[in-house]
Amino acid sequence: MLPTKASILIVDDEFGLAEMLREMLRESGFDVTLAINGRLALEILHEGKVDLVLTDMMMPVMDGAELAAAMRSDDRHRKTPIIMMTSLPTALPQRDRLFDAVLRKPFTPDLLLETIGTCLAKADQTATGWSPGGAQEFDGGLNG
Amino acid sequence: MSQQPRTTERRPTGIEGLDRILEGGFLVAGVYIVQGPPGAGKTILANQTCFHHAADGGHAVYVTLLAESHSRMFGHLRRMAFFDESAIPDRVYYIGGYTALEAEGLDALVTLIRGAIQKHKATLLVVDGLISAQESSPTDREFKKFLHEIQTLADLTGCTVLLLTNAHRASGFFPEHTMVDGVLHLTDELSELRPLRHIRVLKLRGSAPVRGLHSLRITDQGLQVRPRIETRLPHDAVNEEEAAAGPKLPFGLADLDEMLRGGVRPGSITMLLGSSGSGKTLLGMQFLSEGVRRGERVVYFGFYERPEAILAKCQRVGIGGLKEGVERGLAQFVWHRPVEGVLDELGESLIQTLRTARPQRLFLDGMEGLERAADFPERMSHVYSAIAQELEALTVTALYTTETRELFAKNIEVPINGLSAATQNIILLRHIEHRAAMLRVLAILKVRDDDYDARMREIRITDNGIRLLDTFAGESGVVSGGGAAGETRAKEAEA
Repeated sequence: MLPTKASILIVDDEFGLAEMLREMLRESGFDVTLAINGRLALEILHEGKVDLVLTDMMMPVMDGAELAAAMRSDDRHRKTPIIMMTSLPTALPQRDRLFDAVLRKPFTPDLLLETIGTCLAKADQTATGWSPGGAQEFDGGLNG
Repeated sequence: MSQQPRTTERRPTGIEGLDRILEGGFLVAGVYIVQGPPGAGKTILANQTCFHHAADGGHAVYVTLLAESHSRMFGHLRRMAFFDESAIPDRVYYIGGYTALEAEGLDALVTLIRGAIQKHKATLLVVDGLISAQESSPTDREFKKFLHEIQTLADLTGCTVLLLTNAHRASGFFPEHTMVDGVLHLTDELSELRPLRHIRVLKLRGSAPVRGLHSLRITDQGLQVRPRIETRLPHDAVNEEEAAAGPKLPFGLADLDEMLRGGVRPGSITMLLGSSGSGKTLLGMQFLSEGVRRGERVVYFGFYERPEAILAKCQRVGIGGLKEGVERGLAQFVWHRPVEGVLDELGESLIQTLRTARPQRLFLDGMEGLERAADFPERMSHVYSAIAQELEALTVTALYTTETRELFAKNIEVPINGLSAATQNIILLRHIEHRAAMLRVLAILKVRDDDYDARMREIRITDNGIRLLDTFAGESGVVSGGGAAGETRAKEAEA
């Protein structure tokens, strides 16, 4: 069962997609906040509790990889799971290892919820949370 | 109001025909509007330019405003040969700008664009969906101010900017056009049942573009632009006398060559005019066959019968050597399907073939194939004139076939167009009814500045080749059908 009332931060600059995801996740019982780039996302992270970040890759000001790098170097957010959403099938190991999972667009709502559930559950079970180079491959674009 | 790009250096689009129209590409620091209806190819043009720029070592940023989502766009682009995912995100970077625009207006959009250019060291920027920026603008003045800021940004950073829009105004007046360095207009229309795409340069500062409409096609290779063929060919005068000074080119049919006093002059153009089935194609093939026999390079360019079928027919009627000519590299056959063609594509194929093969002889079988591909029939005169000039410049001796509409018409209508004006010789082939038999006849109607035998001859296609017979010696009015029977009947029996 998914841990509900977890707080998710969606970071995406594409109009419509972020709003759509917010509605979908709210209906599934999550608290959802939006940011349109990595820098605004960091401000929201510093302000309050975020259990998971769902971020686009390419964005103005600060992109998904820069956001993930900033979070991994900050003790406050180092353990927060990050899921990267991308339209590109090309894997970039250097970049992708910053994330707990990579979701290839387009994805189904079920796959999104499953990925979020897996990442939140893993973060609960592990004392240390994310660790560099520890990614596992899952079907459907999910790296654990 | 607007600022001129600071250099005349250009950024090629990588779309060969478009670069030719634009005199090499977009200007560095230039700002351009690319407009047209949905589906006309704006997004492909912009993306193709981005990936070409990236392959050249540049950096491109693509900003979408209420356009299709990036994943949907990638889905469409993925089948295009130019789309190189490995260039994303390091060399081609995609961002959405509409959220910022909607939340904070045009100023926020300018800030976002400025930041993206700086951060990604962009030398090419695309803003896809300019109409959204315009609609978000409270006044025309604010929108012009936005464009002015984009101009300034381009000038400061040396970044070339493409603004894509599908804006349509009933007034036909686009104030933003006065503020940019160039405007490209893409169209996608139907001509009867045939889809036709065109691109037109409405404005281009600092350049002398090839004006007017040019053909555009979207394939898996991306956008293909073909400048109007008549604008591409040389206009230098050709010294006809010099070109015609060499030995004549015979058909290899003793009787016909005698009628032509040795053959046709080098560099000349000969029309084979006649009804369907009158033997035009085989006579043209005979001309090529004789060329191969003499070790000359020859080209067949046709639209109707496939080369294999024509070669097989030639073999059957004793017109030999062409297949071997192909194997020896002397003969080249180019065939285009006569439907759904684009005139400029066919014209380019013809010109490229001639420039590459440098043939002494060309047989263009079915001039109607070119005409059917014409987007605007009124162009044909210019196209024919241009082709004629190219043939003369390359000293190619050409034959082409033109079909008469009626099988037995008394009056023969010689089509008047740009090519017939440049046609030195006309040979008529047709059917006639003669003494309760249908015969093929040949007559030379015109040989410019040269003597010729004007007799009408029966042309007979046998298993051993083409033969000319004196069937009508002493008769008159054979073709017009009003003549009296002569005293002699042909000596075809002994032949």
